[in-house]
Amino acid sequence: MNDLLAHYGPFLLRGFGMTVLCWLLGTVGGMALGLAIALIQRYSIAPVRWVLRIYIEAIRGTPFLAQLFLLYYGGPMFGLRLDPIPAGLLGLSVYSSPYFAEIFRSAFGAVPIGQIEAARAIGMSEPSIVRRILLPLGLVSALPAMVNFSIVLTKETVILSIITVPELMYQVQRMSAETFRYVEANLALALFFWGLVELISRLGRRFETRITKHLIERT
Amino acid sequence: MFSWTTFWESFIPLLWAARFTVLVSGLGIVLGLGIGALICAGALSPWKPMRIFAALWVSFLRGVPLLVQLLLVYFLLPVIGINVPALVAAVGTVAICASAYISEIWRGAINALPRGQTEAAKAIGMAPLSQWTRIILPQAITMSLPALINELILLVKASSLVSVVGILEITRASQAQAATTFRPLEVYLAAACIYLAINLCLAGVGRWLEHRMAV
Amino acid sequence: MVRASSVEIRKVNKFYGPFHALKDIDMSIAPGKVTCLIGPSGSGKSTLLRCVNFLEEYNSGEVLIDGELIGYETAGGKKMSSRRLREMRRTIGMVFQQFNLWPHMTALQNVAEGLIRVRGMAKSEAEARAADALEKVGLGDRMSNHPSRLSGGQQQRVAIARAIAMEPRLMLFDEPTSALDPELVGEVLSVMKALAAEGMTMVVVTHEMGFAAHVADKVAFMEQGELVAMDEPANILHHPEDPRIQSFLRTYHERNSF
Repeated sequence: MNDLLAHYGPFLLRGFGMTVLCWLLGTVGGMALGLAIALIQRYSIAPVRWVLRIYIEAIRGTPFLAQLFLLYYGGPMFGLRLDPIPAGLLGLSVYSSPYFAEIFRSAFGAVPIGQIEAARAIGMSEPSIVRRILLPLGLVSALPAMVNFSIVLTKETVILSIITVPELMYQVQRMSAETFRYVEANLALALFFWGLVELISRLGRRFETRITKHLIERT
Repeated sequence: MFSWTTFWESFIPLLWAARFTVLVSGLGIVLGLGIGALICAGALSPWKPMRIFAALWVSFLRGVPLLVQLLLVYFLLPVIGINVPALVAAVGTVAICASAYISEIWRGAINALPRGQTEAAKAIGMAPLSQWTRIILPQAITMSLPALINELILLVKASSLVSVVGILEITRASQAQAATTFRPLEVYLAAACIYLAINLCLAGVGRWLEHRMAV
Repeated sequence: MVRASSVEIRKVNKFYGPFHALKDIDMSIAPGKVTCLIGPSGSGKSTLLRCVNFLEEYNSGEVLIDGELIGYETAGGKKMSSRRLREMRRTIGMVFQQFNLWPHMTALQNVAEGLIRVRGMAKSEAEARAADALEKVGLGDRMSNHPSRLSGGQQQRVAIARAIAMEPRLMLFDEPTSALDPELVGEVLSVMKALAAEGMTMVVVTHEMGFAAHVADKVAFMEQGELVAMDEPANILHHPEDPRIQSFLRTYHERNSF
């Protein structure tokens, strides 16, 4: 057992690092894309909104695995030849973008119109209103949903192992195939994810209460 | 060049394989509803160990990626002497995983009922069992329908993961098709179209239900 | 004394789809005068008020601030550029029924925000001015509080400070006390009274007949999108000739007597 750990420890550690990296970059990429989509939807003409609507429905209606295969194996046919890691990151960003876009859209919709009108009434420009009123209020109210979906994404990273991104799942499967300890390896992986997800949910909730405390009306 | 012929021809094997996608997600939701009801009852039970069990069940199954759960069950069953076909193991795992989400949906719906509803039932002297069967459950189940349709859509997508344990559903079939035609783009696009068609239909049903409830 | 604007409303019409919300409204308000708009709910008073700073787009007619058309380049013509509209709005303060303070900013930041973003003032100067404005509404000691820590009356006074810090020449009040508990109405009305005494042009949509009777120079009664009458407060509130006004006031008195 000690030998096993000594031998596979570094791989598992590297795999974990890759999982965290994919999760962080994929989430940030997805949020950025999603925010852009939500803002464009809010401020653009109808045809552009329809195109974005189709994008959102298409991505949300298909499995992540199918999207990854399409991107990784189908990509080269239209000149997009990516290594597993960039393909995985791009895939994760694209896959998560419509969910984040919907989160932002409903959060922006929930900013009371009066607070936007108050800014218009003192003559603030639309870009200023977005930066100073819409984004701070919208992002804060979007926070719980953002945290939730980011947690969902930690779990989606394991799917990247199928296109051979060397993250934790990939390293664990390699190890279990070499040692024939399939059950132990997968059980350990399950417990590890359970702990990880519980931990981030708790941290997320604490972060939320801290940041939203001004927004709760005194009763 | 995009080969429309390959694209259209892919639909034949993929649609044939879609029966497993439908089977896994359909059975998954049906069994998940049953197990989810039990877990939800556990979560609402006055007996603390029951509540703790339900909470652990939900937190474990929602915390662990389905792919890991599938492999764990796939490898674990033979070790503990249960020899069942991979399809049974896969459906069972999907159903158990779904039960955690479904139990939370129902718990949310029950908790969302205004307290006045049960109070009104109590006030006219209704027995606890009737309160549940006549007042709480009918409303909670109706309220939860759109969320359950949403869960079914998630299952259709999640069923693509059972390809990893060898079930020949849409994703697995498209891998095979891509390998024989050397045209992954067309094949995977066709697969995406089938998933999208299934899910758009389901989403339509969900919207119809929501609309009917609003009236 | 402040520099005060005049408001001229000519044949203004507003439709929501087939619904005719404002019907040929004519009204003229001299600089420094206080005008109260009263009438049953749904009569178009708030809509009319919101047309004055073009938060609501009127469909025909003209609204002139100091003789200058707001919202359109020419009467019935193209909409004016958003930059030009913003410039005009800088001189028009507005106070809303729901306060609409920005919850993520302190009272001081709420007031300073417009000075920084719109007037391009340095932060320190803006905050000094904002502090003056808050002093003026009697909230010098609550400047670092977030809106969630303030009572409704205090929130509304911050909202008034936010408007007057911009040095408007015209103030619009949209039912400023309707969302307040009865015991908090007085503090807001007295701030408004002080503002009127400084010579500010004010248009106030209100249900506070006492305020209309004592502070307003003119009271306008609206019903079903029409301006029924506009006159000295006494002529509207005490000796109304129009039966619609009589019936409105009767309902008002019945509801408020006990």
